[in-house]
Amino acid sequence: MSYLEYTVKHTPSGLRKVLYLNWGLVLVLAAVAGVGFLMLYSVAGGSYSPWAALQMKRFALGLGLMFAVAMVPIWFWRNMAGVAYGASVLLLVLVELYGDAAGGAQRWVDLGVMRLQPSELTKITLVMMLAAYYDWLPVTKTSRPLWVLVPVLLVLLPTYLTLRQPDLGTALLLVIGGAMVMFMAGVHWLYFAAVIGLGVGLVSTVFESRGTPWQLLKDYQFRRIDTFLDPSSDPLGAGYHITQSKIALGSGGWTGRGFMQGTQSRLNFLPEKHTDFIFTTLAEEFGFVGGFSLLLLYALIIVFCIVIALQNRDRFSALLVLGIAGAFFLYFAVNMSMVMGLAPVVGVPLPLVSFGGSAMLVLMVAFGLVQSAHIHRPR
Amino acid sequence: MIRTPLRPLARILDARQRGENPDAIERENIRIRHEQMRDRARARAEGRLLVLGLLFLCCYLTIGARMGLMAASEPEEPRTRTSGASILAQRSDITDREGRILATNMETYSLYAQPPHMIDPERAARELMKIFPDLNEKRLMRDFTGGKRKFIWIKKKISPEQRQAVHDIGSPGLLFGPREMRLYPNGKLASHVLGGASFGREGVHAAEVIGVAGVEKTFDDFLRDPANGGKPLQLSIDLTVQAAVERVLQGGMMLMNAKGAAAVLMDVHTGEVISLASLPDFDPNDRPRPPTQGHAADSPLFNRAVQGVYELGSTFKIFAVSQALQLGLVTPETMIDTKGPLTWGRFRIRDFHNYGSELTVTKVIEKSSNIGTARIAQMIGADRQQDFLKSLGFFEPVPLEMLEASGGQPLLPPKWSELSTMTISYGHGLSATPAHLAAAYATIANGGRKVTPTLLKRDTPQGGERVMSAEVAASARAMLRRVVTEGTASMGEVPGYAVAGKTGTADKPRENGRGYYKDRVIATFASMFPVNDPQYVLVVTLDEPVETSGPKPRRTAGWTAVPVAAEMITRIAPLLDLRPQIEPETLAGITLASE
Repeated sequence: MSYLEYTVKHTPSGLRKVLYLNWGLVLVLAAVAGVGFLMLYSVAGGSYSPWAALQMKRFALGLGLMFAVAMVPIWFWRNMAGVAYGASVLLLVLVELYGDAAGGAQRWVDLGVMRLQPSELTKITLVMMLAAYYDWLPVTKTSRPLWVLVPVLLVLLPTYLTLRQPDLGTALLLVIGGAMVMFMAGVHWLYFAAVIGLGVGLVSTVFESRGTPWQLLKDYQFRRIDTFLDPSSDPLGAGYHITQSKIALGSGGWTGRGFMQGTQSRLNFLPEKHTDFIFTTLAEEFGFVGGFSLLLLYALIIVFCIVIALQNRDRFSALLVLGIAGAFFLYFAVNMSMVMGLAPVVGVPLPLVSFGGSAMLVLMVAFGLVQSAHIHRPR
Repeated sequence: MIRTPLRPLARILDARQRGENPDAIERENIRIRHEQMRDRARARAEGRLLVLGLLFLCCYLTIGARMGLMAASEPEEPRTRTSGASILAQRSDITDREGRILATNMETYSLYAQPPHMIDPERAARELMKIFPDLNEKRLMRDFTGGKRKFIWIKKKISPEQRQAVHDIGSPGLLFGPREMRLYPNGKLASHVLGGASFGREGVHAAEVIGVAGVEKTFDDFLRDPANGGKPLQLSIDLTVQAAVERVLQGGMMLMNAKGAAAVLMDVHTGEVISLASLPDFDPNDRPRPPTQGHAADSPLFNRAVQGVYELGSTFKIFAVSQALQLGLVTPETMIDTKGPLTWGRFRIRDFHNYGSELTVTKVIEKSSNIGTARIAQMIGADRQQDFLKSLGFFEPVPLEMLEASGGQPLLPPKWSELSTMTISYGHGLSATPAHLAAAYATIANGGRKVTPTLLKRDTPQGGERVMSAEVAASARAMLRRVVTEGTASMGEVPGYAVAGKTGTADKPRENGRGYYKDRVIATFASMFPVNDPQYVLVVTLDEPVETSGPKPRRTAGWTAVPVAAEMITRIAPLLDLRPQIEPETLAGITLASE
């Protein structure tokens, strides 16, 4: 079933498309971004500079991009999937070769107008590519080993390049996001079971080998894994962020200390207070109520996406929307778990809230694709 | 919804051209089958979505629950630093016998620099010079701006004020490392006993503190042993008594124009050294460097009480007399020929005064007759004298638990001739430390049983080997008492505390080894109190004292060391819980004086 197979006579055209946008989703996105502005304003000590103002401009730009992407028919984007995927992989290679280093990792590439983080872009283009692939692939071939191998390679190529940067967080998100799309596309569940079983077996074998003569990793590597998994064992090194954010969440309590009253984040206890750890500020100033509200907003976005996907009978659109929803979910779930000490610290921003241009723009483009799929859905 | 498959449409057109429709049914079947397939795929996809949705929900619930849990938790206080805890109480404290702190640890910071991280190294160097004017500005500037040095120690320990001032410079290349330093809160008090400590292996995050002298060195392993669990090292020293002793000794040293002084106070039953002082002293918090030139004995680090090997003069006479008593050669009333001078080869032995032709043994001690003592020594003979002095500990360094004590090896005559026997009997020809003397007198005070001095709190009496009988020790004490009441140490009388003792004034040998100075002496007073039940032995030694209040300078111990010791006993006896005893003869003395 491809885009030519359905009649387009009920599909809106021209400016009428604006009316067919999923305005609910736009409002929720704006609300989440608003929370971000509030927090960045607060973290800067009640000032629009250096973060809040820039973030607002970026959101405005992102909103424009979203509309622009939404106006373009989804079949165009489907045709572009391969190009987009190829371009992002190329950018990853460029980063590898010419990228700028920041914070100990080589992640940025200078495009002249802006510094782009290709690994952020890859999260979306990979989902697009996989959705297009499964749209093209006859359903009956979905679970054939050879046809499973192709998307696996599609996932592993950018993952490998991201790991080289090194950016473990994004690499993990790419793998899980890709797997989610494959799962939704209907790949036989035995493949997933096999991979998970193999992974668990490998990890447990490595840990079993610890202390035995045939241990597979060096002692210092084990110790690194230890602190990675349990940062509290090194409260001033790897665990410093966790310790501080736990204090922030604890002192926030149920209703928080009040807007602009947070101490942990404002007193510079946290180096990444405006990016990956911005959630601590929210939790400290607005407490459990504030934090949970943000969680609900995120949930609402996911629900919107799922509903959009369910309404859509086009395979590409549905897979794309679900894939984007999954990636988005991974973003904030990993970030929040990390902040709350449920997961190891990997560099994953809080989507639409954390300060950062690439992530924000890429996410807005992604929601533009969701909107496009929604507007141009077969009716 | 109308779906029109493309390729079947072409075939339909073909068929229409031919005017027939053969595939119509089959096409319809394919369409239905595809619809079914699609529906199945969709149903499966929806099932998958449900699974994924449930997974999402689980994540949500986990995150939400965690958030609630953390919100409900008590906020922990922000800990700005926790790394210091690991180095705390690295070295045990040292306390006196009452548990008062003599040495403890203090947290401090070292200051170091990493010039590559500096933004404005010249300014940093200038600002540092304002805080630490003792730094070498040229060198600092060269190190900071040269670009070669990556790491420079600037200060080993800095005060909190200095740390704040360096903080305020605001240079990212100036860094602090936490560490512990040894602190002696009493300053110079008991400095010679404690010795001192310094940094051993040093790192940025911690530094090892090692003892360099005194008990800090001797007990270094114990103090650093983590197995002690912070248990302090308890010394036999009494802080208040030590303070009084040092104060009186300092005053006495200045009054008597001496260049050095030492005092040893010892419990005669337990051997515990209650106080050990040597002047000049130093502040162990800022221990001076060992001298590289001049005499080691002139350095404040020189511990006269255990390192100062001196001929201790007439204080030795009591040993010859008690040995003679022990051997049954004499009784206290035996008359001894004291006609002088006593000529032995080229050597003549003289007395300070002419005491007539004969004196009783008691009087020999009382008047401090060299000739009388030499005659007694002749009766004893060299071998027996050696054995006796050896049993009193004069052949070995004092076994005190401090590094310096092992350096106090007594100087013995190379050949123990009969002349040596005679001179040693009155304290010339054998050099020992004041600590040796205190230990030997403690044996007499302890009823003839040997006492080994110790710096550790012990509390139980020592049952040492018997050197002389209790009766001999008692009569020796009676003679020593007469020295104070009737003889050379008349200034040593302290009302109520019945002091007994013996003075000793020895000419200092010339440095070139030829003969003796006429005007430089070591004045010693070895005493015990209260004499009827001796508890403590006190030895006071003054180095080159001269008392100038009279018409001509006086150097004898009776005029110098004795009054200092008397003042000391007056001060410390109450601190030692001794009750003044009223003696009938003292009363008689008062009656006499009032007449």
